[in-house]
Amino acid sequence: MIRFLEFAGRPLVFFIEECGRIMLLLLSTISWMFRPPFRFRVIFKQMEFVGVNSVGVVLITGAFTGMVLALQTYHGFKMFGGESLVGSTLALAMTRELGPVFTALMVTGRVGSAMAAELGTMKVTEQIDALNTMSVNPIQYLVMPRIIAAILMLPVLTIISDFVGIVGGYFVGVNLLKINSGIFIAKIIDIVDLDDIFNGLIKAAFFGLILSLVGCYKGIYTIGGAEGVGRATTQSVVLSSILIFISDYFLTAVMF
Amino acid sequence: MGIGGFSLSNLSIEAKVGVFVIIGMIILGYMSMRLGKLGFKMDQGFEVKVYFDSASGLEEDVSVEIAGVEVGRVSKILLEDGKALVILRIDSNVKLRKDVKALIKSRGILGDKYVVLIQGSPAAPLIEPNGRIISTTTATDLESLMNVLGDVAKDISRLTQSFANVMGGEKGEASLRSIIDSMKAVAETLNRTVQENNKGLVKIITNLSEFSATINEISSKINKGEGSIGKLINEEDTVKRLNGTLASLKEITEKINRGEGSLGKLINEEETVENINSTLTSINDYMQKQESFRTYLDYRGEYLFDSEEVKSYLTLRIQPREDKYYLLQIVDDPSGVESETDITTTTNGVTTTEHIEKNEKNKIKFSAQIAKRYYDLGLRGGIFESTGGFAFDYYLFKDRLTLSLEAFDFDSDSNAHLKFKADFTPFKHLYITSGFDDFISDKGNESFFIGAGINFLDDDLKTLLSNLPF
Repeated sequence: MIRFLEFAGRPLVFFIEECGRIMLLLLSTISWMFRPPFRFRVIFKQMEFVGVNSVGVVLITGAFTGMVLALQTYHGFKMFGGESLVGSTLALAMTRELGPVFTALMVTGRVGSAMAAELGTMKVTEQIDALNTMSVNPIQYLVMPRIIAAILMLPVLTIISDFVGIVGGYFVGVNLLKINSGIFIAKIIDIVDLDDIFNGLIKAAFFGLILSLVGCYKGIYTIGGAEGVGRATTQSVVLSSILIFISDYFLTAVMF
Repeated sequence: MGIGGFSLSNLSIEAKVGVFVIIGMIILGYMSMRLGKLGFKMDQGFEVKVYFDSASGLEEDVSVEIAGVEVGRVSKILLEDGKALVILRIDSNVKLRKDVKALIKSRGILGDKYVVLIQGSPAAPLIEPNGRIISTTTATDLESLMNVLGDVAKDISRLTQSFANVMGGEKGEASLRSIIDSMKAVAETLNRTVQENNKGLVKIITNLSEFSATINEISSKINKGEGSIGKLINEEDTVKRLNGTLASLKEITEKINRGEGSLGKLINEEETVENINSTLTSINDYMQKQESFRTYLDYRGEYLFDSEEVKSYLTLRIQPREDKYYLLQIVDDPSGVESETDITTTTNGVTTTEHIEKNEKNKIKFSAQIAKRYYDLGLRGGIFESTGGFAFDYYLFKDRLTLSLEAFDFDSDSNAHLKFKADFTPFKHLYITSGFDDFISDKGNESFFIGAGINFLDDDLKTLLSNLPF
């Protein structure tokens, strides 16, 4: 009986411990944010990695999301002659949900995994311990710049994705499905609010925090050599994606 | 990474990130401009009230149109005495006449409701702000129209049914034919009667002509003043008397008009009118003051990371208008209040000066500030923690996020106290705060802080305060 409880309880204890470790990592990152030395160069380097280098992926996913959404909603709305609503539906979906979520998922795959792999390799090759002996705090030097870069860059990527998605939808709707272009745009302006965009960007910043925090956490706590690095990378992508979807629901419930 | 021969790899990292962020900002700016409803607009224009029998389907913030042009929005929908009170916010450059008509219309197949105003005659006086549109119609919606049409169709079908019952079949046809036959017979009889009595008819017409001639004679006699009726109408005396009565009536009304006599005074005195007018205005002012007046109570605690202590604030915010408020605050500061005194004593001709610096730990500080808001920027000035100072507030995301920079305590012997904070209100009455306190301190007081607060509207205090004479 006791062995059964141990067996059932171990994952629970592990889960609780993991939550606690992530929160502690977040708190110490915040507190290290305000202490010198401020290494802006390191932050910029991460911003380039997270933001600039992800543009291609985000452009392609954003554009095709918008295009397929236009195609799908068109057939639905056509049933009762509401083709003019395709544009506003598309714009609302992109700015509120699909822009932030898809961008975050793509960046998780591209950047979150890289963070886990990079920090994990440093951990198993004891480079992180070396940093400590040189009295460079690894959280301040490695974790904090990545988290700041992700929080700042995700909204920028998201607004690009929103825009490209709407442009892609416009292309499909107006040029291929022959929806009137004036009505397409007028309905977007009529129905979409500035708040829809801003709330989407706030979401994106949250997602940036989640994916970078999880990536760094999985990297820093890597054990077990090359195999451990692989495991950490996979786990970071899975956990980030799950947390992004869960937090998306609650953020939406609070915001709209 | 190379695009069309250009190489991006020799750009500095900062330049790459900068270009990227600028592109993002441009797209955001473009989209915001196209959406056109920039969030910077404070409530502008004026409000008017309309009472509808039913505001079913009407939502807040839908458009108000005149001739298809949007001139405002629905700002509130309330229930008053079983009717729907709809408050419209109209752009200030639109002039509404008193006889303007309001009606609720629906648009499109989905039937989105909106409000249409139909302008009245240009001669009518203007509606003042917070006035009321009296004339309203609720447009027939599709459903009630269908109900009426259904009833009409039922009636018609019943009518045709009974017709069919009467006329239908051979029997009906036979009776119809007999009706037509008898009508024909009547017409024939009539014709015969007229022909037979031709002479008599001519006689009657001659008599009538003679009668009218006699009447003509009588009326001309009256006209000449002959006979008693003629006398009554044509006598000069009667006319004079009537004239006199009318003259005195005219005199009385003229007197009233000039303000003579007590009735005239009451009506004509300018002062009376002004008195009534000013009384009404002041009542109106008072009512408005009380209505727009708001008092908020606010408690916040800030945990200072460096001293590991909590700084508490209890705030009373009195807000008479939307863009202006007064703030009274009690601050419990764990770093204490510093005071310096010079004590000069003279003993046996020797003057000694003692300089005392004290730090009282448990002393409480006070703040009293006035604040004014211009669109999204707020300015505050007054007493900050018992010293003079000023502050800027910037409001974002419908006031859910407030960034503030406070500067106070401009002593000559130490740096000013600067404080930066960001307040975020995720839910209605709760907010979280974070920032950097005293960040150019030369006494080592600089500290990052994080905290939370509650903030609520206090109606009891409001009633108390608005009854005080200001």
